[in-house]
Amino acid sequence: CRGRALLSRVRGAPRALRGLAAGPEMHFGFQSVTEEERREKIYQVFESVAKKYDVMNDSMTLGIHRVWKDILVHKMNPCPGTLLLDVAGGTGDIAFRFINYVRSVREQQLQRKLKRHQNLSWQEIFENYQEDKCNSLGDSQVVVCDINREMLKVGKQKAQQLGYSEGLSWVLGNAEELPFDDDKFDVYTIAFGIRNVTRIDLALQEAYRVLKPGGRFLCLEFSHVNNPLLSRLYDLYSFQVIPVLGEVIAGDWKSYQYLVESIRQFPPQEELKAMIEDAGFFKVDYENLNFGIVAIHSGFKL
Amino acid sequence: AAAGSREQHRDRDPGSRIQEQGSGSARPQPPEPSLLRFLVCPLSKKPLRYEEATNELINEELGIAYPIIDGIPNMVPEAARMTHKKPPAEDSEQP
Repeated sequence: CRGRALLSRVRGAPRALRGLAAGPEMHFGFQSVTEEERREKIYQVFESVAKKYDVMNDSMTLGIHRVWKDILVHKMNPCPGTLLLDVAGGTGDIAFRFINYVRSVREQQLQRKLKRHQNLSWQEIFENYQEDKCNSLGDSQVVVCDINREMLKVGKQKAQQLGYSEGLSWVLGNAEELPFDDDKFDVYTIAFGIRNVTRIDLALQEAYRVLKPGGRFLCLEFSHVNNPLLSRLYDLYSFQVIPVLGEVIAGDWKSYQYLVESIRQFPPQEELKAMIEDAGFFKVDYENLNFGIVAIHSGFKL
Repeated sequence: AAAGSREQHRDRDPGSRIQEQGSGSARPQPPEPSLLRFLVCPLSKKPLRYEEATNELINEELGIAYPIIDGIPNMVPEAARMTHKKPPAEDSEQP
């Protein structure tokens, strides 16, 4: 349509490269597709799985994904006042954990503050509690950005059901072209999302751009298992069990077939580390969880 | 502005059990006010103006508007609409 053509023309020079992407072959799981097809297919995968996403995560990982996400937030160790951008954060798992974490840190801060004031009157103590009630997050904020409307809808509903409202916002956006200004966020997280980004290098550049100097990049993603025996078992489980679970629980074999294939296509730990360094991050490191089934990569913008 | 702040207050009430039904809802939800501080146009990275009448975020310079659906700003260029009625002049769109 006319609008779309014009919009593509106003994009700056670096982005023009993407216009040529009709040609280059990319992978969608084990299939070979064009860049445009890949984006479409991935969008459809998540549109299809959105409602069953959490249930499937629990079934496939036997609930362990919760521990991985807990570890990510603990590693982040946010203090009250932190501004978090959670990209590909769809259903809100990281965002909710972040909010819980800063809330409990804040409570501990308040406890310590009150303990220090030995001679307060009841009136003063009462007032102390009142003023801090409106600030239970200590001005911390998380913005959840995802490219898929269905995933965001599920996330927003979850937030309402679980009672999360303060300090939480939702944006539909593309990790390769974030709608945020430079140097804005303290932490950028992308949990089980970067694998589905078509141009990882662009996403990493955008991550670098929107982080404040001193800000931290954290990526939680499936990675490569070195141990040959474990690798064999993992492959067996991935290819024999997961798509079946996908069909039984979500009625969607293909999407989960894509999922396990995409894990195999994703760069291993060292390669991802190099890509993160290429984007300009310093002190890039990774931590394997469960022998490399999952890895947390971390980098800083200095 | 008054109508906008009333809606925001409702959204922020932690006890509220109001379920947004999306396309069926009568009143469009405005975005979180804090979010407006962070959002810029993904193309030009320039600030946006919130237009309450159409519930859109407008980039005056490029003449495009991003819709807000169910309170979620839709910040992908594919979703934006042109704000000019006549065929836009090429030079005026150059960032």
